[in-house]
This record gives sequence, C-alpha cells and structure tokens, in this order.
Amino acid sequence: MMDADPRSMPGRVRRQIAAVGGALLAGGAYTRELWEVYVATWAGVARLVSRRHLQQGRPRGEIVRQMYWLGNRSVVFIAVTLGFIGMVMAYEACLQLSRVTGDFSQVGAQLLKLDVSDFAATLTGLMLATRIGAGIAAEIGSMKVTEQIDALRMSGVLPIDYLIVPRFVASLVMTLMLSALGGVVMYAASGLTAKYSFGVNPGTFFDASMVRGRHVALLVIKAAAYGAAIPVVAGFCGLRARGSSEGVGWATTAAVIGGSFSVIVLDFAISAAALLVLGGDL
Amino acid sequence: MGNRSVPIVVLTALFAGGLMTLQAGPFVKKFGATALAGWAAGYAVLRELGPILIALMFSGRVGANNTAELSTMTVTEQLDGLRALAIDPVQFLVVPRVVAMVTMLVALTAIGDLVALTGAAIVGRVLLDIEWSTMYHGFVDNLRPFDFLHGIYKSIAFGGAIAVSSCYFGVTVRGGAVGVGRAVNHAVVAAAISIMLLDFFLTYLTG
Repeated sequence: MMDADPRSMPGRVRRQIAAVGGALLAGGAYTRELWEVYVATWAGVARLVSRRHLQQGRPRGEIVRQMYWLGNRSVVFIAVTLGFIGMVMAYEACLQLSRVTGDFSQVGAQLLKLDVSDFAATLTGLMLATRIGAGIAAEIGSMKVTEQIDALRMSGVLPIDYLIVPRFVASLVMTLMLSALGGVVMYAASGLTAKYSFGVNPGTFFDASMVRGRHVALLVIKAAAYGAAIPVVAGFCGLRARGSSEGVGWATTAAVIGGSFSVIVLDFAISAAALLVLGGDL
Repeated sequence: MGNRSVPIVVLTALFAGGLMTLQAGPFVKKFGATALAGWAAGYAVLRELGPILIALMFSGRVGANNTAELSTMTVTEQLDGLRALAIDPVQFLVVPRVVAMVTMLVALTAIGDLVALTGAAIVGRVLLDIEWSTMYHGFVDNLRPFDFLHGIYKSIAFGGAIAVSSCYFGVTVRGGAVGVGRAVNHAVVAAAISIMLLDFFLTYLTG
C-alpha cells in the first residue's frame, strides 16, 4: 500500500515528484557547470590575448592547426549539405508560388534576404554542431578516459586553456567563414534550381536589393554566437566523459545534441530580439 | 529509442515552429498580413523543417548512441562472441535497431509536426499579436493532407539512412576509445549528409 512510508503522501506520487525534482536539480547543476566552463574559456582567451599563457607550454601553432581541422576539413561537408538545402528551398518556394500567383520576380530577392538573415548561419551552425561538436567531444573524451587530462592538471596546465581555448578561437573564426561560404553555395544552388526547374531568369533571381546592413549584421552575430557555443558545449561534454569507450560514445552523443539544441535556441533568441528591436523594418 | 527522445524532439519542434513564424514576422508587422504567417510557417514546418530538424536531432541522440553502443560491443569483441555462438550479429543486433529507428522516427515526426505548429501559434500570439483563430485558419485553409504526408514519407527515408549509417560505423570500428569516438563522429556526419541528399531527391521526385 504505502510502502511503509510514515508520511502521508502515497509512495508512487512521492517517487514521481522526486524524479521530477531530481531531473530539475541535475539540469541546474549541468547548466551551472556549463556556464563555468564558458566563463573559464573566456578567461583563457583573455590570458591568451594578454600573453600570460607563454609559460604554460602550449604547442606553437595550435590555433592554426585547429582552424585547419575544424574549418578547412569541413568545407566539402558544408558545401554539399547547404547546397542541397538551397536547392530544396528554391524548389519549394517556386512550387508554392507557381500554385498561388506564378510570379517569380520576387523569389530570388526574398530567398537571399532569408539566407543572409537566418538560414546561412543557422544551417551552417547546425551542420558544424554535428561535425566539429562530435569531433571535439570524441577527442577530449578519449583524452579524459585515458587520464591524459589528469596528467595535464598534474603538470600545472589548465585543461581548458590548453584544449578548449584553441578550439574556441578557431571555431569562432571558422564558423564565420563557413557561414559566408555556405550562404554563397546555398544561394547559387537555389538560383540554378530556379533556372532549370522553373525557368526563372538568373538575372531576376540574383537580386540583392532587399538585403540591408542589418541582415548582414544578424548573420555575423548569429555565426559568432554559434561558433562560441559549439566548442564550449562539446568540450564540456568531453571533459565529463566517464568510464572507457562507452563513456566516449555517450560524451559524443551529448555533444551533438547539446550543440544542435543550443544553435536552435540561440537562433530563436537572436531572431526574436531582432524582431522586437527592429519590428517591421527587419 | 523513441520514448526517451520525446522531450528533446518536443523542445526542438517548439523552437523550430516559433522560428518559422519569426521569419514571417517582418511581413506581418509591415503589411498586417496575418493569414500569411500560418501558411508560411505551416508549410515550411510540415514539408521541410519538421522532418529535417527532427531527423537531425534523432541522428544525434539515437543514431550516435547506437553507434557508441555497437562500436563498444565491437571493440570488446562481443560481436565475435556472438559469431562463435553461431548467432548472426546482423540478424541479432542490426535488424531490430533498423526497424525500431524507422518506426520511431515516423512517430516522432508526427508528434513534432503538431508541437511545431503549436509553437508557431504561440510565437504568433505572443510576439506578433496574431489571434489563435487566425493562425488556425491559416493552417487549415492552406495546408493539405499531402503536405503532412510529404514530411512523413521523408521521415521513413531519413530513419532508414540514420539506422544504416549508425549500424555500419558501429560494427566496422577499429581501435579502442579513440576508435569509438571517431566512429560516432563519422556516423553523425554520414547521417547528416544522407538526410540532405534524400530530402532533395524526395522533394524533387515527388513534388
């Protein structure tokens, strides 16, 4: 009946309340730890800029090497995925217009505005959360379970400064670059699809008249926010890895989910803020 | 695989639906075209955004998890153990996972579509002052059952692609913890690429 519980609440209800409370507490602790890693990363960047890291023996050229691994090696991936999304978007937009009005004169300009103000940065961010998020978490997680992180701490090196800061700086720069590249590929693919599937004249389609400075600013803000969030979330998940190979697998999974979800939430927050500030001028 | 993914799918879908209304926001504010918001958001959610985002999340949560589990079994030689007992690892491990993933992704997409439309309506009400009923008519008058079905059969293809890539990279892994991490990484990248490719071809072929 009451599981011999002296208090008045039935055992099942108690257990459910305890489960919800436990999940909330765990979520709170998780958020706090993630925030601490984020702050520690910025502190590491500050130390990097003020050149106080030099006595800590970071390998030379680490940031450039990470830029190559996170950026250059993602170019094909980003170009392929965003190219196909661009083709689908043009196809769907033209299909809808052909059913409603059949007037394709505005479709290119509208798509470019959407690409610049949202899709280029957000879809690149989502794809990078998958690729570099999983990569960073797998690498740092493997180091964690083979006790290399503890060895770093023993040698007086801060793991966040040594491992996350170079990836953070590299990802910040490379997400901006890849968003720009992704946007161009996506728009070009849209234009080709519109031309060959619906006969839209490229001269009409490639029309930048609706893009304003504020849309470009949104692109930069969003790409920077995603570029900062992805390596921190992934590094955090990697540092939390426990056990052996199974722990690395779990850390990688958590990094992909956490990274993708933070991209979507950041996109929502930034878009909503821009809409509230700029209103109909957006 | 399915039930434990519901919270993340619901959260993703809620934000995704809201985002689509936000994208239509400037038009609504400038021209007062409130009926447009429901049409644009509903159409984008049902046909493209819902299935793709949910499949990407599913690939991150379930696909990556599955690769991690299978590759851990592979590197600890449990698959060889199964073979030694004359049990076919593909029949025993891969087939149930593929069936479960395809079924659950379809179910999650159906749930996610509904939640995303709700999210679109909430954002429309809170940020853009669109009445609930306007949004509802925007959905009902402009969307056809085929638009929903279009997303559903895409999710069957996405589920198959996620299942096959995650199982393939799981059973072909080499090396210890480093190999497992790399296998998960490859599996999610392969799944993301195949989702985009399949999405394009399915849209193009079926209209």
